[in-house]
Amino acid sequence: MEFIFSVEEHELRTTIQSFIKEHLSEEIKRDLQETVVGQGYSAASLKFLGMIRDRGWSAVSWPKKYGGQERSKIAQFIVEEEFHRAAGLGVGGGGTGAPAILASGTEAQKQAFIPSSIKMDIVFCQGYSEPHCGTDLAGIRCRATRVGENYLINGQKIYTTNAQNSTHIFLMVRSDPQSRRHAGLSVLLVPMNLPGITIRPLWTIQHDPRAPSITTYAEPRTNEVFFDNVEVSVDSLLGEEGDGWRVAQRGLNLDRVGARRYLISVMRDEDIVNHLKTGDEFIQQKRRDPRVRDKVAELWIEAQVCRLMTMRSLSIEESGGNFTYEGSAEKIFAPEHGVRSTEAISQILGPYAQLLNGSPLAVNEGVFAHNLLGAFQSTVNHGSVQVMRDQVARKGLNMPKQKA
Amino acid sequence: MNVLPNEQELEVQEAVSLFLRTECKSALIRASEKEPAGYSKELWQKFSTLGWLTLCLPEEYGGQALPVTYLGLMFEELGRHIAPLPVHATMVSSLILSKYGSPVQRELLRRVATGALILSFSATGKSGGWSANAVSVKGRREGEEIVLTGSAYFVDYFSASEKSIISILIDGDSNGNEEAAAVLIDSASKGITVQQLHSMAKDNECVVSFDEVRIPASALIGKSGQGTEVVNDLQNYAAVFLAAQMQGAARQAMESAVSYVNNRDAFNQPIGSFQAIQHMAADMLNAADGTQLLTREAIWRLSQGLPANVEVSQAKSFANEKCLMVCRTTQQMFGGIGFIADSDINLWFRRVASWGLRCGTTYEHRARVASALLDSNDPVRLDVPLESMSPTHA
Repeated sequence: MEFIFSVEEHELRTTIQSFIKEHLSEEIKRDLQETVVGQGYSAASLKFLGMIRDRGWSAVSWPKKYGGQERSKIAQFIVEEEFHRAAGLGVGGGGTGAPAILASGTEAQKQAFIPSSIKMDIVFCQGYSEPHCGTDLAGIRCRATRVGENYLINGQKIYTTNAQNSTHIFLMVRSDPQSRRHAGLSVLLVPMNLPGITIRPLWTIQHDPRAPSITTYAEPRTNEVFFDNVEVSVDSLLGEEGDGWRVAQRGLNLDRVGARRYLISVMRDEDIVNHLKTGDEFIQQKRRDPRVRDKVAELWIEAQVCRLMTMRSLSIEESGGNFTYEGSAEKIFAPEHGVRSTEAISQILGPYAQLLNGSPLAVNEGVFAHNLLGAFQSTVNHGSVQVMRDQVARKGLNMPKQKA
Repeated sequence: MNVLPNEQELEVQEAVSLFLRTECKSALIRASEKEPAGYSKELWQKFSTLGWLTLCLPEEYGGQALPVTYLGLMFEELGRHIAPLPVHATMVSSLILSKYGSPVQRELLRRVATGALILSFSATGKSGGWSANAVSVKGRREGEEIVLTGSAYFVDYFSASEKSIISILIDGDSNGNEEAAAVLIDSASKGITVQQLHSMAKDNECVVSFDEVRIPASALIGKSGQGTEVVNDLQNYAAVFLAAQMQGAARQAMESAVSYVNNRDAFNQPIGSFQAIQHMAADMLNAADGTQLLTREAIWRLSQGLPANVEVSQAKSFANEKCLMVCRTTQQMFGGIGFIADSDINLWFRRVASWGLRCGTTYEHRARVASALLDSNDPVRLDVPLESMSPTHA
């Protein structure tokens, strides 16, 4: 048992913090967040991202063979945490695509995708959800039919966030039309520039007005993606044909352990404490109000549980153990805490907390209102908290499945 | 960073658990509930013979000098098996003597190690409040003696203890200011009367009254001016080890409940297959795990000599609410039988309900966290301990 980062890990953190202080200008920060229409980054941002890459921070834990640093998952977590805190930037080497390819890909696929992912020449979006199936991926209908050395893809995906900026989609398809449920699913790595692919934006409740960048789920846009007779080589198959369920499970598990999910759930607790310390006389009255103090402490303690659950996942990962229920458990506690926290914070701030970005009297660009609109998203996506509870009960406590 | 217990820690925890699984059956617990002493002398004998009391005592007194993280794991198991033993009272007191005691006081640890000496401590006053300033025993200096008056409330296992650490307010300087202090007394001193309380836990809790009880000045624990620190440390150990005990108890209750619902049939299947039940169970597991993580972090910080006021309060306030929720939900899952005295499951419910009201309530501990959060002007960050901030009051 050791509840502290090592000296090396601490040094890594301070190195990143001083790098950010020196190189991340307000201008770059704004530009990095302005990727809604897919226009790409400015020259200054590209230079900044290049410096991150040169320091090996875009692939902390990946094998050296493919250009990574082969450092621990804890080191990766530290990198992710600092860049997320500073600019909402997903750096470190987690997320969709490359980690799953490292886990399930062929040598050729690793060579083709990993170095380019590190250079950020390849960016993946996730192609799981469909209009009639979300958390229960067994309902997938988007189909891929084998035609000679190609697959012919037809169907639709939805909630494909960042599709407009992605070069590839991590696409879950039904490769065996006769199959049901989890059998007959496959994962394809599909370039987004192929003929027959159409991206249509779905604007979120954070779009008009635009949520400020530090918001919980600030995404103004997600997408629908349509596949109309899209042809892709069989080489794009990840893992075995028909084994897509397991390939995706490995990918999703890797994705749940990371700094972002935890940070988006707890940074609001820091925000309210710091706001109470710096606000005007009305805010100072709240700072002294015993009701407010009790609630803020309660939220803080829950946030510490979120942090410790994330540390537990990292510890399991680092000691080579197997997850049974812990990833799912964390995916219940942190998102639901995020909801309790944002809602309680708006009650503390009162009517000011309803004002959106750009409104007269809005607090900190309306961030607390936009947080309230966004927080519940985390209880929905990547597996709803209800399904996560099923998994905790079954895998953590060996409870039986319900009879049909 | 590795929040998981290592192999040696797990071995110790598993060994304590195995012993209690074999020796601490519900019949023994129920028998102890009817004993005035509130604990099983037979189990105490076996427990101390195996050397479990020596884990974190200094080597010079026959201890193993392991970090208090081991003690934390032991308390998890004592809670899991709701062992009717005065370990909490004795070990919290021992750690204080070990850290602050005079050579004569520390010499007593030799007898603690063998189980020959049971200790108790008091830190609560008439208000029931959990604060060094809220105690209601006063000390008056008279030459080389201190005269104690007033009462100590909610003192666990006082009537079973040979010696006791009493938190007092002592007349300090010539300006008549009182200061917190702790004294070690003989529980059978002249002028002491004991009133037995009857709590939900049915263990052993007393009110101890002092009528002009004369003790030598050498009974003071710690150097002059150190009293507040001694009492604060005592309160931290007491609160966090009780939280560890509550977590173990809640976890056992949860496991009993899950095993029950997995076998109880209704509507043609085990009720444990229904999502309504499973989702409650998932929340129970998160509640127990959350308490465990907070508690272990606080105890780890204490083991390193790091400031831990905030972490202790985080753990105890969370334990108070969440462990009771777990045990109450267990009662719910067991249905009507949970309300029946002869069913074992209420043993856990009753204890956790009591323990959540000792050593600081939810609101008291949150107030301490709130103060650390809000009474300094430094910005906060979740992974930076609050007590590293400068204590400039707003």
